[in-house]
Amino acid sequence: MSRSSNLPSQKDAIAQALALYDKRPYAVGDIGSQSGWLKAAGHDPRNLYVSGPMGLATSVALGVAACRPDEEVIAIAGDGALAMNLTSLVTIAGAKQKNLSVLLVDNRVYEFTASVPTPSRDLDWLAIGRAMFGPENCFRLADLNRDTWMRVKRPAMIVADVAPAPGKPPALGLTPAMIRAEFLAASRR
Amino acid sequence: MSENSTSGGRLFASIAAAKPKVVTGVPDGMLAETIMLCEASPDFPYIACAREEECIGVACGAAMAGERAVVMVQNAGMLNSLGAFATMALRYGLPIVVIVTNRGALADPNGYDIEKREAFDAGVRPMARVFDFDAGNLPADLVPAAFKWAEAARKPVILALEKRLGGEAAP
Repeated sequence: MSRSSNLPSQKDAIAQALALYDKRPYAVGDIGSQSGWLKAAGHDPRNLYVSGPMGLATSVALGVAACRPDEEVIAIAGDGALAMNLTSLVTIAGAKQKNLSVLLVDNRVYEFTASVPTPSRDLDWLAIGRAMFGPENCFRLADLNRDTWMRVKRPAMIVADVAPAPGKPPALGLTPAMIRAEFLAASRR
Repeated sequence: MSENSTSGGRLFASIAAAKPKVVTGVPDGMLAETIMLCEASPDFPYIACAREEECIGVACGAAMAGERAVVMVQNAGMLNSLGAFATMALRYGLPIVVIVTNRGALADPNGYDIEKREAFDAGVRPMARVFDFDAGNLPADLVPAAFKWAEAARKPVILALEKRLGGEAAP
């Protein structure tokens, strides 16, 4: 049986992570798979689809979190994307942002690029998250429930091992101007 | 000595006058005093990034939420950030203010800075609006004016600060 046969899809893992919150958090998805599957998991005005730079969702989410300190923010990053901006974990840890979490969805491939394997495919992301944010602040998604998650101090990290998808997610169907306008309105409510 | 008696203090005062929601950066010698003043400010958080590209992301996140954000980096750091700047700040039309110390000027001739400056001129100026200033003689309304311009233009703006001959010594 292959490693991925018992793993959730990226879409289901994102939905499961969002369901850990009592109130819908701002969710910042990285370009490609993460934004696509975030939208497929359920479009919400609080979703911010980063459709340009690769790996920048964690940094963009930090900016949102700094401006909305009373709201929860979650960055959704793929393993390939986060490896491109690994230093952002250092920055988030240093900023001690108390309302920011990172969901790492690890499918071990660049899903949007013909599923070429990522260089991070053998990394222990849980150990990296714990080294960055502390041993009590990083969990596997499969080990979390809502009660546990709401007691975890931020910044925190959730590691979700997911199965590579057989295809790409549905297209966003949103222009940058549309994404910006909708998120701006949601962030001012 | 008051904050406004030094060029770094004047830059900080100009940033504070623009009432940003967040300020972020990576240090350069010319920015050190301003960054330390920002870190001590109770009026906005200063987010110290490990790498300049992150600064663009942080500022763009703030701008996506409709808030003002300032970035401070050296020209070499801006070169590191061109992908993020193009695909996030320009693509989404975000009015962030990026303060770049443009090292390698005639009054600032470190050998290791020359190529940075030439690459900044060749690579950054064609893609974004850059306004140049003497770091030793900054107008008080510099950063508020930059935000007004960026918000009117619906795009980011870069303020390039350099040391100039015959002027007040910049840090």
